[in-house]
Amino acid sequence: MDIEKRIHGLKTRLDYVRDISGHKDNENVRLLAAKLAEFEERAKALPVHEVAKQFTALEDFFTFVEKKLDRELTPMDKVRIVRHPQRICLRDILENVYDNYTELGGQDEYSIDPSMLIARAYITRRVGGKVYNQPVMVIGQEKGHGQEFRNGGSVKPWGNAKAQHYMKVAQTENIPIHTYIFTPGSYPIEEPPGAAQQIARNLYEMAGLSVPIVACISEGGSGGAEAIGLADARLMLSHGYYSVISPEGAAAIEGRLRQGQRAPAELIEACAKALKITADDNRAMGYVDRVVPEPPLGARPEHYDFFKLLRQEMIRATDSVVLSVRGWNFFRMMALRSGRGDEEKRTEDIYVRWSLSAQARERLIWRRYMKFRRMSRHAYLDPRHYLDKVSGWGREAWWSVSSFFKYDFFKKHQKKFAHAVEEIGAEVQVLKDKVGAPLGKVRGLLGNGRSLDLEKAGKSLTELSCWEGGACGFLNGSGYLSPQARDDRTVTCPRADEHGCLDLWAPELFGDSAGVCAFCGHHFPMESQWYLHNVFDRESVFEFNKRIESGNPLSHEGLAKALEKAKRETGQKCSCLTFEAKVKDVRVVVAMLTANFRGGSVGAAEGEKFIRAADRARKKHYPFLAYVHGTAGIRIQEGVNGVIQMPRCTLAVRRYMEEGGLYVVLYDHNSYAGPVASFLGCSPYQFAVRSANIGFAGPGVIKETTGIDIPPDYHDAHQALSRGHIVAIWDRREIRENLYQALLTMGGRNLYYR
Amino acid sequence: MIDVKALLEEMKASPYTMVEVATPHTGVLSLSLAPGAQVRGPLGSWKEKKGTTLATIERERNVKPIHAPTNGVVESVASDLDTAFVQAATPFCTIRHYLTKAEVLAAILKKALFLFPAPERAKYYFVPEVDKKVRASGSRAVKVRDGMELFIVSRMKRESPLAYSGPAGIIYAVYFGLADNVDAGDPLIGVCPADQLAVIQDVVNRVQAEWEEPEGNG
Amino acid sequence: MKQTDKVLVANRGEIAMRIVQACAKLGLDFVCVYTDVDHASGHVRLARKMGGDAAAVRISSYRDANELFSVADAAGATAIHPGYGFFAEDFRFARRATERRRKLTFIGPSWSVIRELGDKINTKRLARGLGVPTVPGSDRPIYDEMEAEEIAENLFAFQSEQGVEKPLVLVKASAGGGGMGIEEVHDPDAFRQVFRRIRNYAKRQFGDDGVLVEQRIMNFNHLEVQVVADRHGHVRHFGTRNCSVQSTGHQKRIEVAPGFAPGELKYSFDAARVLEEIKNHSLAIAQAACYDNVGTWEWIVTPKGDPFLMEVNTRIQVENGVSAIIARIGRREGEEVDLIAEQIRLGLGAHLDTEKDAKTGFDQEDIRLEGVGIEYRLIAEDPARGFSPWTGRIERFDFVEEPWLKVHSQVPRDEPYDIPTEYDPNLALAIVWGRTLAEAKERGLGFLDKLVLEGKDSSGGGLKSNVAFLREKTANLLEF
Repeated sequence: MDIEKRIHGLKTRLDYVRDISGHKDNENVRLLAAKLAEFEERAKALPVHEVAKQFTALEDFFTFVEKKLDRELTPMDKVRIVRHPQRICLRDILENVYDNYTELGGQDEYSIDPSMLIARAYITRRVGGKVYNQPVMVIGQEKGHGQEFRNGGSVKPWGNAKAQHYMKVAQTENIPIHTYIFTPGSYPIEEPPGAAQQIARNLYEMAGLSVPIVACISEGGSGGAEAIGLADARLMLSHGYYSVISPEGAAAIEGRLRQGQRAPAELIEACAKALKITADDNRAMGYVDRVVPEPPLGARPEHYDFFKLLRQEMIRATDSVVLSVRGWNFFRMMALRSGRGDEEKRTEDIYVRWSLSAQARERLIWRRYMKFRRMSRHAYLDPRHYLDKVSGWGREAWWSVSSFFKYDFFKKHQKKFAHAVEEIGAEVQVLKDKVGAPLGKVRGLLGNGRSLDLEKAGKSLTELSCWEGGACGFLNGSGYLSPQARDDRTVTCPRADEHGCLDLWAPELFGDSAGVCAFCGHHFPMESQWYLHNVFDRESVFEFNKRIESGNPLSHEGLAKALEKAKRETGQKCSCLTFEAKVKDVRVVVAMLTANFRGGSVGAAEGEKFIRAADRARKKHYPFLAYVHGTAGIRIQEGVNGVIQMPRCTLAVRRYMEEGGLYVVLYDHNSYAGPVASFLGCSPYQFAVRSANIGFAGPGVIKETTGIDIPPDYHDAHQALSRGHIVAIWDRREIRENLYQALLTMGGRNLYYR
Repeated sequence: MIDVKALLEEMKASPYTMVEVATPHTGVLSLSLAPGAQVRGPLGSWKEKKGTTLATIERERNVKPIHAPTNGVVESVASDLDTAFVQAATPFCTIRHYLTKAEVLAAILKKALFLFPAPERAKYYFVPEVDKKVRASGSRAVKVRDGMELFIVSRMKRESPLAYSGPAGIIYAVYFGLADNVDAGDPLIGVCPADQLAVIQDVVNRVQAEWEEPEGNG
Repeated sequence: MKQTDKVLVANRGEIAMRIVQACAKLGLDFVCVYTDVDHASGHVRLARKMGGDAAAVRISSYRDANELFSVADAAGATAIHPGYGFFAEDFRFARRATERRRKLTFIGPSWSVIRELGDKINTKRLARGLGVPTVPGSDRPIYDEMEAEEIAENLFAFQSEQGVEKPLVLVKASAGGGGMGIEEVHDPDAFRQVFRRIRNYAKRQFGDDGVLVEQRIMNFNHLEVQVVADRHGHVRHFGTRNCSVQSTGHQKRIEVAPGFAPGELKYSFDAARVLEEIKNHSLAIAQAACYDNVGTWEWIVTPKGDPFLMEVNTRIQVENGVSAIIARIGRREGEEVDLIAEQIRLGLGAHLDTEKDAKTGFDQEDIRLEGVGIEYRLIAEDPARGFSPWTGRIERFDFVEEPWLKVHSQVPRDEPYDIPTEYDPNLALAIVWGRTLAEAKERGLGFLDKLVLEGKDSSGGGLKSNVAFLREKTANLLEF
């Protein structure tokens, strides 16, 4: 009877091994199966004590093979491990890592989003005979061992909103947050405010959250992971993966597959490997701080030792975050550092209070900013000589100093002076009126004052007046001619069927119509150069950080060639152009994502340039405009080096805004995925040019991952407006006017926010 | 009372219609299909997938496909027009189309409903309040009664109101499209009086049950 | 002009017929277009009769430029005549014709001229720059409220001084047109409110919140100057017209040439001088703007005899025939003047300068204007019901031919004709000539009396036309 139970246990282990080896023909699996079958056959004939002995041997053999297999695991095997229904889930962690917990915001299927689980939990420490209960807020995706309603840990916008809400609660209560990332990615539906917009809000919230955040990654799928992943300490389970995209998704892109086609298994394996998604890879690249070792072939709910270890790691990580921003930390920090995983007792033996003082909170946010600022520096190319860099720093320091005087110091005094002048002026006016009144009366009596005016007035009504501005502003005379306008041919508006648009003559459409259909207002794509010539003041564009260049950090096979081609064709070094420019004499710093360079995808170089542009705007006290000519998302071939730009850039723009900067985002063409779900989506002033498509995932991906057929206008700017994602829609021909208006109304007099 | 059965039998006897496809405008035509070819109409929840390409027409260096408006088999093609410059509205292809349930139903309903005809050749619109209702919840949400102001007649750049006259009921079918010119006497809407609803429902059920579409007609 | 030129007639109805006839007169080949509903129109029959079956090509719409260029290329046309309406004043169309790979001559002014003079503000400023009188008020969009108020204030004061009894100020969106975004102000205190309303409307509707503030002139007469220019810098005029008889929708119904009759009627101002002035002013602007084809300068004349330039129509007008019928060109004895033929000839590059081209060129002195012409626009409409158009079948259309009468119509006299609902319901233009205004009026009434025009609509109702309205208005022509 006991044996039967144990045999069943082995069978489960065998099935598990079979599952995670996937399609691969594995002789180990066959061997185990054969051995087990053989034993079962033999056991019937054997005496009981012999059965027990032989069974133990068999179990040992199983363990031996599992260990052997563990050493041979491929990245794709690990993907299968984390997706396996037997994989530990957040509920298991709450049960086994924490001493007590209460689930918040829903239970099982009775929840606004069962795939996002939130609990208030505590850890009990006994130190020096005293008992401390340390509360934490636990937030994470729940896969629930395959429970259907958990949606595989794919969180809907409102699930992420719930997480955001309880993060704020934790901040109020001054308790740390532990997040557990168990998600293949966010559910890509655009219910208000939209998947991307909600993730951006989460990131923005976390960028300024003044309590310690410790994240633990098991399955870190792109945007969904980032929604709760911007943390002070990031742990990763050894059998987990953390990636910009699922290997299947990458394979579909690599293989240029159409919707519904399946990628061959070999390609998926290769992609999983190329993306460098394992814990060790991510540790090596510096995107996670520690790897938590799991039992062979990955942690399952029965691995109690593993939970003990995880508990130690989480406590240690929280302690060290807290201590790093505390004044009194020396000995305890040293103790923490010397502590190894196996000396688990010591971690719990040191008591660290987890609430933070006001100063420590500030330091925490600064440290978080610096932590991410330092990431991914190896992942782009900066060919500048180090002397250039030094002089660059000098210049930036000077901007900081001079803008301090200009805006902070002088401003206060200047205002006082200006107010005084105004007052005096008003006094003088009253005096003048009093003195002048009798004179006016006399003039009125004589009657010549008025008639003199009339003659003048008559002239002003019938003669040519002075007028500086011509009727045609910029659009005609910008000096830029789109290559699309050089062809004598006509094009059909894609909305002709619904709106009855006639064919449009290309030279006119891409010339003075600025790519706008004369009949229905549909916007055809225009080159990024068009904007440089038609939005900003003539010859006011000054590009900086020109030489920062997209690299190939993962030595991805196809990327090197593709980058070379993009650089050759566009003359750009990466998809992000950063420049200073003027809009009707208002100076702005602009970061522009251009769709013609690798679809405007964002990698380490783009992120770095974006951050530097935000810094420049901050130092010079200029408004900062993110102009999205188009972006397809994060450059997947850079793997996590790309994804990490989401928190990195968000931290940078948060810092800029908190110091009083005006951050405006304008979407033009298709703008999707990571960037929209982070540093673009977090602007309070996002505008879109008509016919921009904005969202998290394209229609194909939505169909693939959710099976939902979405209407053709699902991502259209008007939908984004109704969702509350953007604040207004502009006509392309009026970008310049509208931008100026936006800068004036939102920027105040000096055009800087505060 | 209409004899649904007889009507259905009549339609079953000749279950096809011939759909003539003409050029949308002038240009040089290139035919892509031969008689006998199977074609399909637009597909997808929003009809976003276009029908089979029957031909292309090139005008001002813009090559435009002409799609099949409906399912069926190409009956004949004006092959003498291939690669020639053609005038607008020149027929070049005929498709033999097996009637769908919806079409059969529409045809029978046209005989069963009260049809309100267009008094003159013009463009017709619903008045704004009705239009809103139709867009939001479909035409059957609209109850009409005699003398109710229902349409706007747009003719020669001038618009004038038009009142409905006929039995009270709901608008069961709408026969005019946006910005289409409707000839005098052609029906604008089909109205189902309240007491006839059951009868109409019966017609619908009968057609649903009795009209069979061949495979691949979907 | 080469004899090998071929003209695409990018229009329909009466004007298309006139263009075909002019081409034939000049020995030019032509090709016409028509839409399905126009298959029975006179211009299709005429084109087929004079040019064979290939001379009329069916297109999907007269408003689709692509169709016109497509037919032009297929038929080997070298020039394109836009007629009036449709593309006649569309500088983009003219530009496309002349800048596409297979170039076509646009029979009308150069596209840049159309663009310059098509912009009312631009025209007003051009006029003021030359000292030509324009309607008092702003000549550029006003954005500033204070500035607008000052203009309005001045306008009220200015009108009071001029003795206007009820001064009125017009506020209109500078980017607007066709009566949209326009409001009158009679109370200076209400101005600010109206200004703001129009500005917001303009911002919403046109994306530009510029506003014009002008004097509103009441009870004026609408005069025109017919200008003719070649592509080489020479300008002539063919006198003036008076187009003051209009329908409620400001659509012209009767045009008379010349603009006033100072010899027969009494005016409170020096009418002859006004006519002279507006002719000279118009030529000055034409010269300055490098005008290079036929065009019409529209003027309003106040009851006190002050002329103000309103706008320039850079096309041949419907009423070209009434100017032609009173004109003779001295060098071409016995030949009727046909402004459309002149337009085509000049459009294709002919000289007006007599030294360059003694045969077709002419000087201003060569143009003699004699007698009075009246043009009636016969339209199927009901003047009693706000001139609402009538459609149906014309069953009988006939008139008595006279040497002093010209009738241009696409309606056949020998068979019934269905009026297409898609286009304006113009039936015919009838132009009569008399040695004096009195004689012209008498002949005009005679023509209207003998005119046969019968038809039925789909519900059996009889044809409605404006004949009675035209008769009634004939009595007081040119009185002011």
